[in-house]
Amino acid sequence: MSAIVVYLLLLKAIATSFAGLGSLPQIQQDFVETRRAISAEQLSQSVLVGRSTPGPIGAYVVAVGYLAAGWPGAIAAWLAMLTPAFAAIPLLVLIQRWLHLPRVRAAVDAVVIASAILLLASGIRMAADAWQQLSRAFPMV
Amino acid sequence: MLNEHRQESLPLSRFTWTVLRDVNRTLGGGLASMELLRRTFIANGALDETGNAGLVAVSRLTPGTNILAYCVGLGWLLHRWAGAVAAVVAASLPASLIVCVLTVALVRIQDYPVVRMLLAIGVLVATLLVFSSAASLLRPYVRRPALARASIIAMVAGAMLLADVTPVRILLVSAVLGAALSGSARPSDVE
Repeated sequence: MSAIVVYLLLLKAIATSFAGLGSLPQIQQDFVETRRAISAEQLSQSVLVGRSTPGPIGAYVVAVGYLAAGWPGAIAAWLAMLTPAFAAIPLLVLIQRWLHLPRVRAAVDAVVIASAILLLASGIRMAADAWQQLSRAFPMV
Repeated sequence: MLNEHRQESLPLSRFTWTVLRDVNRTLGGGLASMELLRRTFIANGALDETGNAGLVAVSRLTPGTNILAYCVGLGWLLHRWAGAVAAVVAASLPASLIVCVLTVALVRIQDYPVVRMLLAIGVLVATLLVFSSAASLLRPYVRRPALARASIIAMVAGAMLLADVTPVRILLVSAVLGAALSGSARPSDVE
């Protein structure tokens, strides 16, 4: 698989998701099922590596790119991971420009509150995950 | 949203180093990293709580990895395009290189008990940071007149979460609900 195809497929998966692992179903479909560029086991290993590495969990796509196309694939995957993040700039500009309007401010406040609720839910899932990992690492727990 | 004076006194190189350090020392994803960045940049005066809340909202609404969107937004606020590019590279390049190395050596690394223990402790610390981040986001809203509106939004968001509604839909519905409820409290209520 060429690096350009890796970039385009990963960009599609990442740009249509809203969390680090949100791109997983699309990557599974494109890389494992449709194009068979990597195996299901390799995809699981990529996710594990992403979870075990400091920094963004979404960096697991770099492992996918590496397994699919070597170092050029890894570089393509890294670029695909970065590209959608720049959409934050126009969003930020719009929010700054309209933030003085009460309804816009209220909408942003509501998004922040909902984000906190989503964070709490993620925290609970992470706590369960941490407990499982601790149980495996320290059998006496 | 940010302290202009502080922006001038925080050189791009120092900003980049701070992002690199804070993002690449946490396990468990970007949520913990966001909390570290919030603490660092609020402590040095480059950002305030309102600015951080805006960045969190934007990062949630941006497609892809939340922490990278947060870093792009933070970099853009402080140093425009140079800051955005420097921040996203600093936040992602070290992790990506480690991912490649680990991918090659995965099986052997998994077998080391010490590595498994360190990973477990790392995830636990990251979990605590996530709870701390959620608390800091909610803190401005648990006061006086804004509390009722915030409670309604939080309950609706929680109900949608339990109903397996996707995060982006939860955020969009919350935004609409917040705008619709804006008559019940002035914006200054949540300052």
